[in-house]
Amino acid sequence: MNKETLALIFGMAIVTFIPRFIPIAFLSRWNIPEKIKMGLEYIPVAILSAIVFPILFFDGEGAFGIQPQFLLSAIPVFAFAWKIKSLWGSVILGMLVYWGLGYIL
Amino acid sequence: MRDSGFRDGAKAALPIVLGYLPVGMAFGILAQKAGLTPFEAGSMSLLVYAGASQFIAVEMISKGIIWFPIVLTTFFINLRHLLMSSTLSLFFNRNSLRALGLLSAQLTDESFAVAMSDSSKISNRPRYLLGLQMTSHLAWISGSVGGAFFGSLIDPKGYGLPFALPALFICLLVIQIKSPNHFGMMVIAGVSSLFFKWAFPGNWYILLAALLASGIGIIIKPKAQSSKLKKSFPSPSMGKDKWEG
Repeated sequence: MNKETLALIFGMAIVTFIPRFIPIAFLSRWNIPEKIKMGLEYIPVAILSAIVFPILFFDGEGAFGIQPQFLLSAIPVFAFAWKIKSLWGSVILGMLVYWGLGYIL
Repeated sequence: MRDSGFRDGAKAALPIVLGYLPVGMAFGILAQKAGLTPFEAGSMSLLVYAGASQFIAVEMISKGIIWFPIVLTTFFINLRHLLMSSTLSLFFNRNSLRALGLLSAQLTDESFAVAMSDSSKISNRPRYLLGLQMTSHLAWISGSVGGAFFGSLIDPKGYGLPFALPALFICLLVIQIKSPNHFGMMVIAGVSSLFFKWAFPGNWYILLAALLASGIGIIIKPKAQSSKLKKSFPSPSMGKDKWEG
């Protein structure tokens, strides 16, 4: 590995590790005020929504537009997950639907 | 039963593995095209372990950009881990810095979301989270190395694989909707993320939507009944959601 690639990989590793480590290392040792806990409560659902919605409405290049194969596959997965909270099941179902739609669309 | 924690975590990682193998392979293929060796691609997946920034990095490499701007870009792309790490900190108040270092180094969107889907499993139980994360990490590294080696022999776009991770995220999202407030938050964060992604380059939209949602969360929560606060996380009795992974 040349020096350029070495610097790149270690540089990326360090700057990625810092925001991952600092909060859990320090906050876990403090008593977090209720107000901040309230703010943190909605972070998982917010991050997940912010990840899921754009997949359905943006293409691979970042252009805005309805993605029919993703959107249509998402509907049965959403319904299935609502009734049966199975991660495995959702992934398999989603893959099958998406695969099938690839032949129809 | 402490030993079984790691194994339980590893089992819970299987849906993530299904998503990481093909996406890791896609990264490996692109890395090889950008001129990286399988060892270099694998090292990046081992040491950085952050998909979006890795993809963007190899794209920048193939454009001939030197390491410093790439590292800077990586920093900003991965800032959102601040929020996830903060959320996880609520569940680990008795652990050594070394354990926290190992756990946080392997923090990703997917393992975070799976961990949060049943927070009782992680409360001061680093082995479960470790099992979850190490298994996922291994899949990511394997996919990357495999993709770099075998290049275009296997098609990571077939068999519905492009929808494996999205489907996982959808299920994890549904699991997080624990109240009408959460449903409303999903709509707010989801719709605003569309605007943010359209308006801003890169992955800022995730961080912005999450900050908007937690900001609103701070404002509206005080209006809720005080009894709801007692039910709010974290506590080991939480995670009564029934789910099988």
